[in-house]
Amino acid sequence: MSDNKEFVKGTSLWKDAWRRLLKNKLAVFGLVVMIVMTILVVFGPFLLLKILGVDATSVPDNQDLLKAIPPNAKHWMGTDDLGRDLFARVIQGGRISLMVGVISTFVSLVVGVSYGAIAGYVGGRVDNFMMRLVDIFYSIPYILLVIVLLEVFKGENTPSIITAVSELFGGSGPLNQIFLLFFALGLVSWLTMARVVRGQVLSLKNQEFVMAAKATGVSSFGIIFRHLVPNTLGPVIVYATLTIPSVMLSEAFLSYLGMGVQAPYASWGSLAAEGIKNIAIFPWQLIFPGVTMALTLFSLNFLGDGLRDALDPQTRKF
Amino acid sequence: MWHFILKRLLTIIPMALIVVTVTWGLIRLAPGNFYSGEKKLPPAIEKNIRAKYGLDQPWYVQYGKVIGRIVRLDFGDSLKYEGQSVNTIIKRHLPYSATIGILAYLFAVVVGLSAGIIAALKQNSGFDYGSMALSMLGLSVPSFVMGPILVLVFSLWLFILPPARFTGLSSLVLPVFTLGAIYAAYIARMTRAGMLEILRSDYIRTARAKGLSEKTVLLKHALRGGIIPVVSFTGPALASLLAGTVVVERVFAIPGLGNMFVQSVFNRDEPLILGVVAFLSIMLMVFNLIVDISYGFLDPRIRYE
Amino acid sequence: MSQKIFCRILTGIVLFSVGVVSIGCSNAGNSKYWGKIDVPKEDNLRYITGSEPESLDPQFVTGQPEARILIGLFDRLVEYHPKTMQPIPSLASSWETTPDGLVYTFHLRKDGKFSNGDPIKAKDFVWSFKRGLSPELASRYAFLGYDMKYGEEYNSGKSFVKKNGKFLPEDPAGASLDGCDLSGPKCLAVVTDEEGMKELKENDKDTASRIEGAEFVPVTADNVGISAVDDYTLKATLKQPAPYFVGLLCHQFFSALHQPSMDKFKKEWMKPENIVTSGAYQLESWDPYDQMTIAKSDKYWDAKNVKLNKIQFYPMDEQTTMMNIYKAGRVDALYNHTVPAAWNDEIKKFKDEYLLHPEVTIEYYTFSIKKKPFDSIHVRRAFSLSVNRANLEAFRKTIKQTADFVPSIFPEYEKARKKVFAELAKKDGMTEKDLEARLFDPAQACKEMKEAGYSVTDGKDGKCKVSDFPLDGVELTYNTAESNKAVAEFVQSQWKQNLGITIPLKNMEFKTFLPYRSAIEYKGMARAGWVGDYMDPFTFLSQFYSPKNDSSTGWWNPKYDALLDDANKDLDPTSRFEKMARAEYMMMMDQPVIPLGVAGTNWMKKPYVKGLYPNPGTMHPWKFVYIERDPSKWDHDVDKIMTEQSDPAVDAQVAALEKTQLDFEKSRTELTKKESGEKDAD
Repeated sequence: MSDNKEFVKGTSLWKDAWRRLLKNKLAVFGLVVMIVMTILVVFGPFLLLKILGVDATSVPDNQDLLKAIPPNAKHWMGTDDLGRDLFARVIQGGRISLMVGVISTFVSLVVGVSYGAIAGYVGGRVDNFMMRLVDIFYSIPYILLVIVLLEVFKGENTPSIITAVSELFGGSGPLNQIFLLFFALGLVSWLTMARVVRGQVLSLKNQEFVMAAKATGVSSFGIIFRHLVPNTLGPVIVYATLTIPSVMLSEAFLSYLGMGVQAPYASWGSLAAEGIKNIAIFPWQLIFPGVTMALTLFSLNFLGDGLRDALDPQTRKF
Repeated sequence: MWHFILKRLLTIIPMALIVVTVTWGLIRLAPGNFYSGEKKLPPAIEKNIRAKYGLDQPWYVQYGKVIGRIVRLDFGDSLKYEGQSVNTIIKRHLPYSATIGILAYLFAVVVGLSAGIIAALKQNSGFDYGSMALSMLGLSVPSFVMGPILVLVFSLWLFILPPARFTGLSSLVLPVFTLGAIYAAYIARMTRAGMLEILRSDYIRTARAKGLSEKTVLLKHALRGGIIPVVSFTGPALASLLAGTVVVERVFAIPGLGNMFVQSVFNRDEPLILGVVAFLSIMLMVFNLIVDISYGFLDPRIRYE
Repeated sequence: MSQKIFCRILTGIVLFSVGVVSIGCSNAGNSKYWGKIDVPKEDNLRYITGSEPESLDPQFVTGQPEARILIGLFDRLVEYHPKTMQPIPSLASSWETTPDGLVYTFHLRKDGKFSNGDPIKAKDFVWSFKRGLSPELASRYAFLGYDMKYGEEYNSGKSFVKKNGKFLPEDPAGASLDGCDLSGPKCLAVVTDEEGMKELKENDKDTASRIEGAEFVPVTADNVGISAVDDYTLKATLKQPAPYFVGLLCHQFFSALHQPSMDKFKKEWMKPENIVTSGAYQLESWDPYDQMTIAKSDKYWDAKNVKLNKIQFYPMDEQTTMMNIYKAGRVDALYNHTVPAAWNDEIKKFKDEYLLHPEVTIEYYTFSIKKKPFDSIHVRRAFSLSVNRANLEAFRKTIKQTADFVPSIFPEYEKARKKVFAELAKKDGMTEKDLEARLFDPAQACKEMKEAGYSVTDGKDGKCKVSDFPLDGVELTYNTAESNKAVAEFVQSQWKQNLGITIPLKNMEFKTFLPYRSAIEYKGMARAGWVGDYMDPFTFLSQFYSPKNDSSTGWWNPKYDALLDDANKDLDPTSRFEKMARAEYMMMMDQPVIPLGVAGTNWMKKPYVKGLYPNPGTMHPWKFVYIERDPSKWDHDVDKIMTEQSDPAVDAQVAALEKTQLDFEKSRTELTKKESGEKDAD
């Protein structure tokens, strides 16, 4: 019986949501930009090499080209200090940043939401214990943790399977330790999410619909994931869209420590960090990566808002 | 209630000790020493240093000393900054971070809350789109970009504000804005989302149906529930703001605790790391306790046993 | 109300965007100076010296930011020459050495005073030097005092070995009937703790058996080769000749320290209210991470020539922040390497402010020469030859290309090296052109790879493709820094273009990197940089000296040590340098490192700051610095500031100081002449 019920509910929910999403112009815009961006970062490097003959890491052999050059017919976004094509670097950086942003946020969503919801719903000692654990995680110096992680997984210690898989993902080169990066980012990004969800659940769990569910004998698991979590979706989606930029920027910092993307590859965060130094003389080095990143974040955000509205169980009541 | 607060306050002590212990272990695991530098030291000199700072003793003796000191709230002397005690260093740098952090947070709360509420009330209006787009801009422009651009405009072209250093009120403007903008954006977005959620809930409809004035409905009922996500986020945010933010401190050359702390990790300055970590973890837990208490005030349905 | 705020924010945002766009269009090139020129009203200098000082104990600190402050606070026997950093008389008005180069006698000036008025006497130096060497202080720079007899033994906590009431000599063959005389140089001293004994038994069985059943007498401070002959005569005895010794004494480690105040205040001695200094300045205030102010000391012996009343040091870490604050006219001068490389084209236009001169540094990559594939000398040579250093120089702009290890800032050594290298190269069947081609020669690099046994496909322009180079476990590791990254990316592309080999790059946080490199755990290659401790080529060559050397490569050759020992015994500078050049040639032909370049000073100062020279170590004796209010006398075209554009006032001031030693040397030569004349007459 329950299988049948879920089946019926499932199709109508997603169909409904999809229909609502398509009605939202901004969300559609966001969706289109994201699709274009994904296609660009996947096939872009190949196309650029074919059409313009540029790639993200080639340093010119000619002394006169070994410097920052403003945008021109060959280098649409200009070049960086080493004379490398910025367009190719922005696209290549998008691979890293998008992957980091989406995967880490997804991890923080899954872990943070379940953790927070369980703590908030169960309450009492369990809640107290779980939240104190979050506090401890919060207080441990993150940089130190990363330094130790790097030491532990240094060189020979990195399991070859991780290296192999990360090369598969990096595509254009040996982007080692990218998985270590997800791990390091995941370690902290779920903490605030858990606190936010717990706060929401605390205020929801004494509401009538939860009582009603309890009275009809729905299991705790059911109450948490079928009734409480969907009702926290608003703040959760918003917080998730807030997490993406912060995760992308943390990546730049972790790369600084030696984790994440290794030179000569770059990410949006590291491109922006390099660009800002030269803002007064080579503004294109900041403007292009910055605008690309902002456009992506805007689109993700519109999409997020649209999704929230589309999936919101409350709106369906009207 | 008081029982609950007391219990939580008491748990802070063992928790801080756990944090300190884990951190101490991490420092031990981290490669490199506070004394290592580009020039390798002759073994004899390294031996002298290890003897002077008791690093040649067994780990449990060293750990015992650390805990013994911390229990007495004396964090010892910094290894990097010779002759300066960790307590003095924290006392000296905290006010800078706290001033900028609190001002930035006030700025963020005022701007973020009002923008979020108005945007929620006028959902899908021009103001809603405008302010949310603006807040998204605030979020997608990292502070290491925002700070230098502000400096460029106000200090290097207009010459109206100092580019760096903590020299008086005028030097506070740029760092506070840089730091506050991101938090304002966060708060605006979270408030809007929370308010939208609440405005649709049954009890608001009931309140409206009862014929309460729109103002009462908003301020007395909706706002209380609507800002819960903001409050959840406030605890960690305030703690991290008090701890200072590395980027802003470095860009504006402000002697805050944040940069100090990060440098101490890079320097492997054990007493300083442990001191700041202990201090910050206590702050964080106190703030989170306040947040948890305020849940009860904001939403009477939340109860603590 | 919030709408108002939003309007304001909106205005702000619009302002930035307008700003960002207009930077591209605006050009500040018409102005003669970069940024604001705000001449200080008083004789106060505002200077950025780098990171926050760790301490004000001259024997504790190791960094340059501290050193720059400390040479203002503490005087030494000799001061840095403001341009060349060679020693000029300071508290020692003159000095002499014995013909064997083992004993130095310093004649102190009688008017030297601490900032509290106490006279500075020879015994103050004796105390200070011994303090620096004491194991309890655990100074990181104690090795600077190791040239003094028993300095190392005292610092290492060693003990003399006494058998049958007689001290054992270091050299078993040199045993005399009376045993070793402690006032002579070579008595045996060993580490007597458990660990030391164990090591001795494992590594040096002869000595271990010699010391069996002996009693141990700890080496004390009194054994160290420094003593006061009288109040104003100081004698230093060395363990072996060290012609660079006087130059070394410019270092802040050899400062005159005030014992009574340090004993009295213990840990608190460097607080502004307690500290007693010996230099031209005393500490006025110190707000860590904010600023430090030092003020002129009127007790200083040369106070009449000290022109700046105060110097404010601002600790800062961010390059752009420093540049901003300089541009805004809120500081007067910056320290070295503060101008970002990419800005060079823009900044170098300001010829009156931008200073780029070679430094006493070398930037290079080390090879792990004991492990494959860099255990092959051909592979090492190929990797060095295939880096186009001229392009590196053009790209980095602030470094000078080099294929040698000792930077070319020692003119005398440079001459000797040219001569010796040409001579030795000829013997090895190389021409001078081949020597020069070490800077970049892809064709030769390909040849070397072939010789190493790799399959090489030739391409155009002498480039080639090596197809079977094992990339497994080969990396170029560097510590995180913007400049290191840029250079690594460039060099990586060079290998890719010229050899067809793509070496992966790996960056590491500094303190993680250090043990990784020094234990030679790194895979293949690692970045290194060396800043000379004193103005002598030996500070560079000693990197490869002794089997336990600090080169992080695994390279060592006993013949190399012998050549250097021989050189240091030579009191004639020319033949000494020639011997050192032989050693350098020997090492460079083995190519344990890839020398890349010599960094340039790369800093800026406002034109009204005079007497501040871009010397090779960016060490400024502050007493030569002053602020010029008359714009017609401001520095211009500072590229020539060391030569034609030099300030005659400062030159005269230096000459007056140098005179005491020159007069002394003159009187000595006359004396010896007279003596030998008298002998001849006999």
